[in-house]
Amino acid sequence: MSMSSELNLSVSTSPHLRSKENVPNAMRDVAVSLLPVSAVSIYWFGLNALFLIVLCMATALLTEVVFRKMLNRRSKRFDGSSLVTGLLIALCFTVNTSWWTAVIATVIGVGIAKELMGGIGWNLFNPALFGRVSVVIFAPLLLNEVNIAFKPLGFSLSTVDVVTQATPLALLKYGSGLPSLSSLFLSFPGGALGETSALALIAGGAYLIYRKHIRWQTPVSIIATVFVIALLLDSGRLGIAAPLYHIFSGGVLLGAIFMATDWVTSPITTKGKIIFGVSVGILIMVFRLFLAPVEGTAFSILIMNAFVPYIDRATKRPRFGEVAATAKMAPGVSQPVQRSV
Amino acid sequence: MTSKTFSQGVYLPHYKKFSEDKSITVISLPEEVVIPLHQHTGAPCHAVVKVGDTVKTGQKIGESAAFVSAFIHASANGTVKAIEPRPYFNGLLVESVVISVNPEQEEPRWNEKDVTELSRDEIKAAIKEAGIVGMGGAAFPTHVKLSPPKPIDAIIINGCECEPFLTCDHRMMVEMTDSLVEGAKLIARAVEAPHIIFGVEANKPDAIQAIGAKIAGDSNIEIAVLDVKYPQGSEKQLIKAAMNLEVPPGKLPFDVGVIVNNVATAIAVYEACRYQKPLYERVLTFSGDGAAKPGNVKVRIGTPISHVIDQCGGLPSQVGKVVLGGPMTGWAQSRLDVPVVKGTSGILIFTSSMVDDYGHMDCVRCGKCVEHCPMYLYPNYIGVYAETRRYPMAVEWGAMDCFECGICVYVCPSNRPIVQFVRDTKKHVAARSSK
Ligand code: SF4
Ligand code: SF4
Repeated sequence: MSMSSELNLSVSTSPHLRSKENVPNAMRDVAVSLLPVSAVSIYWFGLNALFLIVLCMATALLTEVVFRKMLNRRSKRFDGSSLVTGLLIALCFTVNTSWWTAVIATVIGVGIAKELMGGIGWNLFNPALFGRVSVVIFAPLLLNEVNIAFKPLGFSLSTVDVVTQATPLALLKYGSGLPSLSSLFLSFPGGALGETSALALIAGGAYLIYRKHIRWQTPVSIIATVFVIALLLDSGRLGIAAPLYHIFSGGVLLGAIFMATDWVTSPITTKGKIIFGVSVGILIMVFRLFLAPVEGTAFSILIMNAFVPYIDRATKRPRFGEVAATAKMAPGVSQPVQRSV
Repeated sequence: MTSKTFSQGVYLPHYKKFSEDKSITVISLPEEVVIPLHQHTGAPCHAVVKVGDTVKTGQKIGESAAFVSAFIHASANGTVKAIEPRPYFNGLLVESVVISVNPEQEEPRWNEKDVTELSRDEIKAAIKEAGIVGMGGAAFPTHVKLSPPKPIDAIIINGCECEPFLTCDHRMMVEMTDSLVEGAKLIARAVEAPHIIFGVEANKPDAIQAIGAKIAGDSNIEIAVLDVKYPQGSEKQLIKAAMNLEVPPGKLPFDVGVIVNNVATAIAVYEACRYQKPLYERVLTFSGDGAAKPGNVKVRIGTPISHVIDQCGGLPSQVGKVVLGGPMTGWAQSRLDVPVVKGTSGILIFTSSMVDDYGHMDCVRCGKCVEHCPMYLYPNYIGVYAETRRYPMAVEWGAMDCFECGICVYVCPSNRPIVQFVRDTKKHVAARSSK
């Protein structure tokens, strides 16, 4: 009793054990899972790709700091999520994107879609896709006019002479000059940085599933849906290869594995994840077959983001014992005791 | 051996190595014992002794006319020094009988009774007289539990001890197997249950073997070997694992024809029936990464935890937390003069390295709490809504069905204090319904 006065014992509510899980570690794992595809893009596009990645990540971090200061959210600790958002935004762009387009996308993604919405956890839309899509919407203004205006400053990446091929998705539309499926799977320098290697994306996804950060249901349901619809409606010219081209191009894998699995903006239950994934898959194919294919994957995921609260509510599972309780309502049915051993 | 289990839940580090092989030892008597008159669920007792009275070990000092209550007994020979509110492990003050303990103690003498002759009512009367409560922590009066309004098919003896660190039930199963099995039979007879199932987690092979040897040949008694998963020892999860029955929300085990009793409770029942020995002492685990001499100790009810700590080697220099009970559901203490009570299953000493005081962040909707909650609730939504004081929404996502196992907090990468949010919600609901 004498000791109690000088002891400074910590008192908090139970439990008094914690797992090793924390957000910064999870974000580090996501960044690690994106290393392979980043490396492939740097292999093809060289320092320009690296520059784009570093630029977006630095901008994301700076945006987060500035917005948190502005919003007086100083108590929030650094969680690494902005760096991941920055990296994902970079991977959504082609290498000849001008530096300021990437910067604007990042500022919109991190600043508006995340921090202004209340910070990580409160945003309805995937910040990376929101940022990416915003500049697509303003593209006519940004990508041409301002690009020219900035050109004299020598910052524009598009002045650098880089060979990039037309995206496979565009080729798919025209139906000629398609790369082979195997090169598309291993690595192919068409489209965005994050579309340069299906294999690298799948490896990253496998790592995230193994580390239990994402569940396989989301990517698999998206990919399966795209596959089936492409097989049914678009296999004319290419036959059985068509669905594979659809999957390996246009950011389907990047979206399915890294965007649609975003914790904050996807459903919480397994059933919800599947509904979400199938819907995204359907929307992707609607965009591709009937609308403009540009950024169809991004738009599809963003549209479904808006439905997440409703999906959560609609897929609410019964509590422990609730199913047994309703089953037992039948009169005269006595529950047999199941003996163990 | 295949082990059965329930869905969801979580695999925790066991931390049992500290004390699982340590035989039960007896802690000496302190200079004074502080015996709260309310150590159980239900009505508090009132003192039936006065300041200045001499009392003997096992003498009844508190009783209540209410059915849902449990008598209180002196745990040492001595003199009643005060009857006054004293600190209790939950942070509140509880009316307590303070006994200054005589330096000379004589062993209480028991007259042995043949328990095979006891009728149902005699068993229950003996249990009530002995003030027995559930000793796994819930402290629900056992004679009430054994008076169900429905026929009982089976009783389960809960030997899971799924909380990390705790090993006292394990030691009792190994060292007091005879009393345990006899106690289980008495409980089954009290409710006329045809079957007895011992539920034991697979990480206690010696206990499984000891009980198995004792019950061999008895076709009405069996052992269910269960997966080492938390919260395997929670009644609803245990019934699901051992018998594949689900107790519906808001219902109790007897609704599915089952009654669950803890190992220590069964032994106390045996001792009450055989020797008329009241519940004035219990075995608990002294452990934790900061425990000098971890072990399993028999302690008189009312012994200040500071005394137990002193007897077990004292506190380390960088003590962070002292927890009564298990690490998942126990109570952190701010002072060490609180007494051991009937429901105290452990005293855990944690160094500052086990203490996290870095606060919590917003929910990032990672889904881990939803994936592991053994009641299939939505701790994420409960937390978000309770934090913003939208309590009806927290209730809608399951706050009232939460039994505060702590898993959601354990797995949460944002370290969200969801158990606290649940308690806030329950408090709010109770306040509204009493209006
Ligand atoms: S909500 Fe309650 S029952 Fe579910 S994991 Fe959290 S504490 Fe346990
Ligand atoms: S574990 Fe924590 S962060 Fe994850 S969903 Fe649950 S409350 Fe939110």
